[in-house]
Amino acid sequence: MLKAVKNMLVMIELEMRRLWHDRTEIYSRAIQPILWMTIYGPVMGSARAIPTGGVPYTDFITPGVMIQTTTFVSILYGLTMVWERDSGILKKLLVTPAPRYSVVVGRSMASGVRAIFQALIILPIAFVIGVSFVPNPAYFLLALIVIFFASGGFAAASILIASFMKTRERFMGIGQAITMPLFFASNALYPLQIMPSILREFSAYNPLSYVVDAVRGLLITGSLSNLLIDLIAIAIFDIIMFILASVSLRRIIE
Amino acid sequence: MDIAVQINGLTKVYNGKVKALDGVNLTVEAGESFALLGPNGAGKTTLMRILTTQIKPTSGEAYVFGLNVVHEGSKVRELISYVPQEMSVWTDISGYENLLVYAKIFDIPHHEREKLIYEALENMGLINVKDDLVRTYSGGMIRRLEIACAMLIKPRIMFLDEPTIGLDPAARKAVWERLNVFKREYGVTIFFNTHYMDEADLYADDIAIISQGKIVARGTSEGLKHSLGGELITFTVENLPINAEVLGEIRKLHFVKDISVNDTNISMLVYNAEDSLSYIMDILRNEKMSVNKVSISKPTLDDVFLKYAGMRFEEKGRISDVVHTRRMIKKG
Repeated sequence: MLKAVKNMLVMIELEMRRLWHDRTEIYSRAIQPILWMTIYGPVMGSARAIPTGGVPYTDFITPGVMIQTTTFVSILYGLTMVWERDSGILKKLLVTPAPRYSVVVGRSMASGVRAIFQALIILPIAFVIGVSFVPNPAYFLLALIVIFFASGGFAAASILIASFMKTRERFMGIGQAITMPLFFASNALYPLQIMPSILREFSAYNPLSYVVDAVRGLLITGSLSNLLIDLIAIAIFDIIMFILASVSLRRIIE
Repeated sequence: MDIAVQINGLTKVYNGKVKALDGVNLTVEAGESFALLGPNGAGKTTLMRILTTQIKPTSGEAYVFGLNVVHEGSKVRELISYVPQEMSVWTDISGYENLLVYAKIFDIPHHEREKLIYEALENMGLINVKDDLVRTYSGGMIRRLEIACAMLIKPRIMFLDEPTIGLDPAARKAVWERLNVFKREYGVTIFFNTHYMDEADLYADDIAIISQGKIVARGTSEGLKHSLGGELITFTVENLPINAEVLGEIRKLHFVKDISVNDTNISMLVYNAEDSLSYIMDILRNEKMSVNKVSISKPTLDDVFLKYAGMRFEEKGRISDVVHTRRMIKKG
């Protein structure tokens, strides 16, 4: 068990080293959420069509668009596993004494590192634009931890999907086809209450909604009434995804 | 002598129809350099992936240093290291960082780590480029880095799948020189797959030839070649007619297996051409026969393959080989 945890930390260290050598992806991925916050946010906000509970609309969507970006990064991370299967890296990792599930969970959590750095690029820009945050460092830290673990779950989900995909190209399309529905059928851009009832039902099973809700509570509104439920939902999502992804690894290597 | 690898009746059937291994029996002694030689698609990689505990055999048993690869996989993984055929290092970090990550995965104690990494870099001649990103390395350097990763833990046995595929002759030689030093110094058993006959010929103490999932021949390079009947020496002589007594005398030599005369050519089948040549030359000179030309023809591993697998190595290998090499280059 100790060995597995150590191995996961090594995977995270590896990701930080890769990130250190090439940071362009983090910068370029920050562009999309910035467009949402600077263009879509003010335009929709001026229409005052969406009830946000008294929060300015741009502030309301900031956690949503940020998490959409970090989720997309995590989903694409499964791609790395497909690539590592095509190359010999995965084979070599499986022949080390490290337990196999620690390779899957470690690689997934490593995507959380990417997500945190992504958030750390977007949040200051949001602050400059004029989004007002809850001035509590503990909340801020907890929000980052939520993003970290949620990204791990999404990365494990993408490893699971990748195990069914035989080529990278196919996976690229699937990556988009998963993130966008998750994003639109969540509370990222509008509160759940104004959704059609079918969509609201679906949203109850959408892990992204819980992540956005938790982070929005911690960073923007300061209301933590749902936080416990959100955290439990994210934990369940992570555990299920880690187990399924570990099992699916067999399919990736055969 | 310890037994490094013991395989009994191993078969592997993919998807219930493709028979990759068909009853393989094999024993490899510890401390030797062993080559599994065969064309692409013969089952080499499948066998290696079973031995390295990545996939399970359909039936049969395999042991690495007495440990069952199916039931004692995690123990096996502590003794072995493995270099897959495909590139297996991260190209977006430096060579040193690759080794550091593997050292941590192998759980090498903190105080030994630095020393072992530098030793591996030194052994593989990568010390000058250790801080460069791997994507700037040449193919030979990447291969050496992969072998350096495999050396870190001082394994009992190293599994190398096509260790020099896509490398030029100089880079191949460099890789093997380092591997041999490592083998000598630490007594590591080297188990490698190859479809290069000269590589098996030059660098393996022991060879098994695999074809269509079966081991068809087994022995040292010399032994396998001699099993074809020996080496052929042909003398072209000037004085005609050829004296029958001379032929009789040569035939009496214990190392001459057969002799035949065709016009001015005397051909004889001997066990070892170099050792026999001077004796026979002496006899011919004593009989005042002047030799114009001597030619020696030795069987190659290709001939061995032809005999035991019933086909030319090249015929089967060529097209898939080209495709494969191209794929490697594209990835590289």
